[in-house]
Amino acid sequence: MSSNCQPIPIEGIAYNQLKIEKKPIVPEYVPRDPVLVPKANRTVVVNPSRTCMPFGAMFAGLGMHRGLPFVQGAQGCTTYVRYTFCRIFQEPASIANASFHEDAAVFGGRKNFIEGMRNLIVRYHPDVVTVVTTCSSEIIGDDMVSFIKAARKRLIKELGEEEGNRPKLVLVNTPSFAGSHIVGYDRASRAFLETLAQDHSKPNNRINILPGMVMPGDLRELKHMLREMGVDAYILFDISDVFDTPLMPPQTLPYYPEGGTRVAEVEDMGNSIATFALCQNEGGLGARYLEQKFEIPAFIGPMPMGVKNTDLFLKRVSEVTGREIPKSLKDERGRLLDFMADTLHHTMMKRVAIFGDPDIATGITRFACELGMEPVAVMSGTKTKTFTADIEGIVGEFGFKPLILNGSDLFELEESLKTMPVDVIIGNSKGADIAKELQVPLVRAGLFVYDRVGYHKRPVIGYRGGERLLADLVNAIMDFSYPEERTQQL
Amino acid sequence: MGGPITDAIQIVHAPVGCAYYTWATRRHLSDQYAWSLPGKLDNVAFNRRYCVVTDMEEKDVVFGGSKKLLKSALESIKLFPEATGVIMYTTCTSGLIGDDIGSVAKQIEQETGKLVFFAEAPGCSGVSQSKGHHVANRQFFGQINEIRRKQPERVTPEEERTPYDIILVGEYNMDWDLKVILPLMEKIGVRVLSTFTGNARMMDLVRLPDTKLNVVHCQRSATYIADMIKEGYDIPYVKASFFGIQQTNKALRTITRHFGLDELAEKVIAEETARIQPALDWYRERLKGKTVAIYVGGPRVWHWIKLMEELGMKVVAGACTFAHEDDYEKINSRAPDGMLIIDNPNEFEVEELLETCKPDIFLCGLKEKFLGRKMGIPTLNSHSYEKGPYAGYVGFINFARDIYQALGAPVWSLVNGKEE
Repeated sequence: MSSNCQPIPIEGIAYNQLKIEKKPIVPEYVPRDPVLVPKANRTVVVNPSRTCMPFGAMFAGLGMHRGLPFVQGAQGCTTYVRYTFCRIFQEPASIANASFHEDAAVFGGRKNFIEGMRNLIVRYHPDVVTVVTTCSSEIIGDDMVSFIKAARKRLIKELGEEEGNRPKLVLVNTPSFAGSHIVGYDRASRAFLETLAQDHSKPNNRINILPGMVMPGDLRELKHMLREMGVDAYILFDISDVFDTPLMPPQTLPYYPEGGTRVAEVEDMGNSIATFALCQNEGGLGARYLEQKFEIPAFIGPMPMGVKNTDLFLKRVSEVTGREIPKSLKDERGRLLDFMADTLHHTMMKRVAIFGDPDIATGITRFACELGMEPVAVMSGTKTKTFTADIEGIVGEFGFKPLILNGSDLFELEESLKTMPVDVIIGNSKGADIAKELQVPLVRAGLFVYDRVGYHKRPVIGYRGGERLLADLVNAIMDFSYPEERTQQL
Repeated sequence: MGGPITDAIQIVHAPVGCAYYTWATRRHLSDQYAWSLPGKLDNVAFNRRYCVVTDMEEKDVVFGGSKKLLKSALESIKLFPEATGVIMYTTCTSGLIGDDIGSVAKQIEQETGKLVFFAEAPGCSGVSQSKGHHVANRQFFGQINEIRRKQPERVTPEEERTPYDIILVGEYNMDWDLKVILPLMEKIGVRVLSTFTGNARMMDLVRLPDTKLNVVHCQRSATYIADMIKEGYDIPYVKASFFGIQQTNKALRTITRHFGLDELAEKVIAEETARIQPALDWYRERLKGKTVAIYVGGPRVWHWIKLMEELGMKVVAGACTFAHEDDYEKINSRAPDGMLIIDNPNEFEVEELLETCKPDIFLCGLKEKFLGRKMGIPTLNSHSYEKGPYAGYVGFINFARDIYQALGAPVWSLVNGKEE
């Protein structure tokens, strides 16, 4: 149907016709007080680059097959997190909530939990429920261990031994005042393994992978690499077919995505030959637990991004499984190197600022260095014990000395970049304002990318993820800074 | 409710997450900007630009967070001296440990002379955001009275008032709805002093009682303050909806009747309806006979039943997240025969609703819209709109266009398993 045949008489008022006259809040530019710019010099946080601990536990819980998180707190604790998942992935995310009101705040959340859990299980028949605590339940002092026992009793009474015992309940304590979403995910990885993984008696010749909060595209790339190597793996938590699912109605109700890690897989993870936590801060706890409990060797970080980190990951997988790295993967490596050689005039000596969650920021920093870029500032929103040393280690190899912000906020990063110009920023959507103000391109990478479509569908890990990131990077730089006559020829 | 106020530093007294989620969630809603660089006003408006939070930690929970709040507020005023003042919010954490935000507010006022407002509405203190709206209405009103008493110079001087002053109460400037509402108001001869709270300034709050008439748009969240102003200052209010043609007509007539400007309303209505008629006909031709399910916040279900009829569509199901009894009475009085009405359904119930009623389109929020699509049903984000504004006459055409785009997209006919 051509619009020429049947023209629409008028559009209402198109977005680009909305002329909003920008009014300055004060007549003159106000420079920010330099004393208060460093986060270390102030109490207040301005433009944080991290969110709450329950977020990480809910992310994990949704990565289980027929898995539902149950949040012991007020409705907002769930609504906002669901909203965020919807924004990032453009997918539904079902999360249950104890719906705290005034009476729960005064008398505790026991009744809400037991009734709520009963309703959830009777209605939804989940395989596993992640019990996620919140600031309020932790402050009130809800005794979740005893609540879970009481809920189980109630379920058995109503549904019988078998059905009442069937759904697994995994408790993750996530008081947000004690850490960020990174910590929530990390704790969930240990909680699931502690609760579900069984003894080390039936070797399965598989490896465990705790990927951290990566995207569906990353997990598909990971599975691709393992498939090429002929390695069988369990992935905890596998959100690839949860947060990127096909439109294929009709389904049975209630809607569950087809993906997610199976309970039986987690149970068998105690029998694996090695555990790889791709992000040391998001899954490292789980890997260490398996090492201590079942003596399963743990390989924790770095995230397999860029050349050397991917090399290291594949080499370790090859060593523990005895499988060789196949030609197909070596070819992928070669293609990435070829791409790097073909684009080096666009990347060499480019000054870059990098921010995000600690592990991806570290991974990107190494890759940026491999591309001949100069990291000028590197920031992790969540403070970790090793971030500063990790970054120093990487940039030291290449002779750079960036500003390293370990657990700071985007306000400090932004104000710092006003005095240390960069050519490009790599980080999540929260950097869009900064990039716009500094008039440099923002290459989106990380967990909170919600203002562009399709980011989550493609990888940033592995050699092919490197190709993708490199293409995004060079195209962004070219779109932004090249005079028109150069666009016809690279 | 405080969020759309542009010249305030919005401080959330909580662990970081509570603030993170509210930051930059809506499109640009206000026109007041901080300078990003000298001579450059190029970004989102001031109130969405900075996300300010006290970042409560374990030690604050144990020893109390009032000092941290005070220090954070004073620091942010130093960092952002261009702001008129601060608006502070408590949350579950600060509410449960009992931080005294009122006395912190007094201290900030004394030390800086800035305007300070606050709302104490921890998530765990009520059933939904509706409780928060109520608390903010009540507490803001109290604080407004206090400021006017102590600083009478802030009250609008007599010579700046006109007999035709109105305030749009409960209009949050979703996707710049104001851009279509304000010109209409001008044409019917009234002067809009401000809105509560879309694109409002802090001084607009203080001057809320300086109007001649309040026009209440979102009647769920803001009738409270219109009632209080009526009681405290003897200023009348009328209820109005700016969604759809009939309701906008009615709103214009209601407002003008109050001021004896009826003729102006008729003139505007004639002009505007004639202007959009061809477009409306075009969309109605393509939408008539389609069925709709609506799941939104409060009053929009009953606001929109009429709208859908104007597009020739039929509402087969309606649900609200935070409606009260009176909202449901209104829904019931307008509901066509056989319409299914549910209070605050969960996802499973939404799925059952879609399965049972099989609507051709589902008007819902962001969280439900992806679920509906998985079931092969076109959806529309009706909370913050797809491509607004949706209010007023031309906004209604935007709404019709977005509904048509959702329904008419070829993707739905490519979905497997559909009867064709």
